[in-house]
Amino acid sequence: MNVRFSWRRIFIILRKECLDAFRDRRTLLMILLPPLIVGPLLLILIFNLVATQSERAQTLSLAVQGNANAPALIAFLERQQVTIKPLPDDYEAQIRRGHIDVALIIPKTFPADVAAGRAASVQLVYDRSRDRALVAIAQTEHLLAAYGQEWGKMRLLLRGIAPEVAAPLKIDAINLATPQQSGALLLSLIAFYALFATLTGGMAVALDASAGERERQSLQPLSITPALPFEIVTGKWAATAIVNVIALLLTLTGFYLTLRFTPLPAIGMPFLFGLPEVARFSVTLLPIALLLPALHFYVGIHSRSVREAQAGTSVLLLLFSLLPITQMLLQQREPDWIAAVPVAGHYSLLVHALRGEMLPDAGLAWAYAVPLALLFLVLIAAARRLNSEASL
Amino acid sequence: MIELTHLCKRFGKRGEISAVADVSFCAPTGQITGLLGPNGAGKTTLLRMLSTLLVPDEGSARVAGFDVVTERQQVRRHIGVLSDARGLYPRLSAVENIAYFGALYGMSARALNERISLLLGMLDMRALAHRKTEGFSQGERMKVAIARALIHDPPVVLLDEPTNGLDVMSVRLLRGFLRLLRDQGKCLIFSSHVMSEVAALCDTIVVLNRGRLLVQGTVDDFRSQTTRASLEDAFFALLEDDEQKRSVI
Repeated sequence: MNVRFSWRRIFIILRKECLDAFRDRRTLLMILLPPLIVGPLLLILIFNLVATQSERAQTLSLAVQGNANAPALIAFLERQQVTIKPLPDDYEAQIRRGHIDVALIIPKTFPADVAAGRAASVQLVYDRSRDRALVAIAQTEHLLAAYGQEWGKMRLLLRGIAPEVAAPLKIDAINLATPQQSGALLLSLIAFYALFATLTGGMAVALDASAGERERQSLQPLSITPALPFEIVTGKWAATAIVNVIALLLTLTGFYLTLRFTPLPAIGMPFLFGLPEVARFSVTLLPIALLLPALHFYVGIHSRSVREAQAGTSVLLLLFSLLPITQMLLQQREPDWIAAVPVAGHYSLLVHALRGEMLPDAGLAWAYAVPLALLFLVLIAAARRLNSEASL
Repeated sequence: MIELTHLCKRFGKRGEISAVADVSFCAPTGQITGLLGPNGAGKTTLLRMLSTLLVPDEGSARVAGFDVVTERQQVRRHIGVLSDARGLYPRLSAVENIAYFGALYGMSARALNERISLLLGMLDMRALAHRKTEGFSQGERMKVAIARALIHDPPVVLLDEPTNGLDVMSVRLLRGFLRLLRDQGKCLIFSSHVMSEVAALCDTIVVLNRGRLLVQGTVDDFRSQTTRASLEDAFFALLEDDEQKRSVI
């Protein structure tokens, strides 16, 4: 090439692409509005879940059959603020449908078993596949176990045996999770959503500037101008990256404003998503927000049509969004090398940030080094493609 | 001035499709050279090589004195191309479309304004200037595409079947405009598959068939060589003759 690389031409291309993108109001609205709405919506759903769960925990209501068979047990439960309701006949169906969380059946043989000194059995009916019933199930099991223990102690005392004989192991649980950390479990959803917003934010613009431009047949005239392929690619990428970063900032703003101005539920999650978290999220996600438009653009420039490009990018998105989900489901401790994997490493950092921790330096260094190196390579590859005869 | 010497371009995995085969001719300055041939004759491939979009497999071409392979950027600065791909940016106005390319050629804002104003007048498109190009008619699009291709006032103009899809009024206007450019001393190449089109406009005709150059000469040469009643018939006879020769081989 006998003409030097020109920042001015990159700026001209960037300016035109921005103008083009911001003129396309409908698409822009589709890109920028969801982050503002979906984030808060997600939070409200989480709040709702937490609020109902804590409500259920407070006022456990138990459907019981055969109250008269074990009056002492019923009295114990009532002392523990449990509301006792009669058990309807179609209780199994009602449990499946979620109208009843747990049912307790005290059989007729109960008094006889107690009198004979045998273990008396009760039946607990529930559907463990229903998440919302889990709190009630755990609480009922816990109460029944406590009642059984209490009863056993009394029997031992009556026989002149110290209750410790039957309970040689005493468990004192010390939960190291700070209140903020337990909130972070649910908030990993926020991390996932913020990450996802970065993956998709600039997609429409990137595809329009690559495959769309080819489809409208304006790419060929552009490549006959003195603008070098690398300048064209860089200018277009920069415009897309700007849109993507705006989408990311709007997403975080949506979260921040919701948490700042909606009243938290009575027994809320004392988690934080204040300005420090907004800053840590932005710092963590910036390299991804810069890399993804380049990848979308690369796919776009390789495709004959916008349709083909969309198919390509959806595969890309599927792969990337699988990473955090795998991490969420992975019960083991994450291996150290995950910090160097784009998206996966970033997700780990976001979870750190949500726990109210400082971001680890090494993790942050990887989070920048790998995506920026990839970005450069992808831009060069896209420019080579644009320059090749196959792209005509 | 455009000079082609033994220019070749092959496509396909093993280069089995010969799109342009050993074509040599010269298109002088101040003339419109017509590139005539049926579909698939190699006109677009040839123009793409001159536009530096394709690299020739063999031979060489010089455009305005610069080699299309080794002096690609210089060639680009000296050509204005209206190719088969003449898409505009639908969300930008006509003037914005034109000014974008001018800026990429490094023109100053002042030079750009003057040049745009001149082109708007020459192409009779002042009324369109600030409308978004979305929904423009074929003729209106062609005007914008031409203004965009000529924004940097190039000495060499390459046009690939520019009249495709245009109505008679637009064709008339285009012809007048191209003659004006010729009279300004520019070197133009105009490709078409319609003989009458080329005869009406061009000073020299180059006939291509299956990538090979069949005849080169002025319109008058062409007329004197043929015994046929019309030029259209002469062109047809020429192609038929060539096909027969090929089938014998």
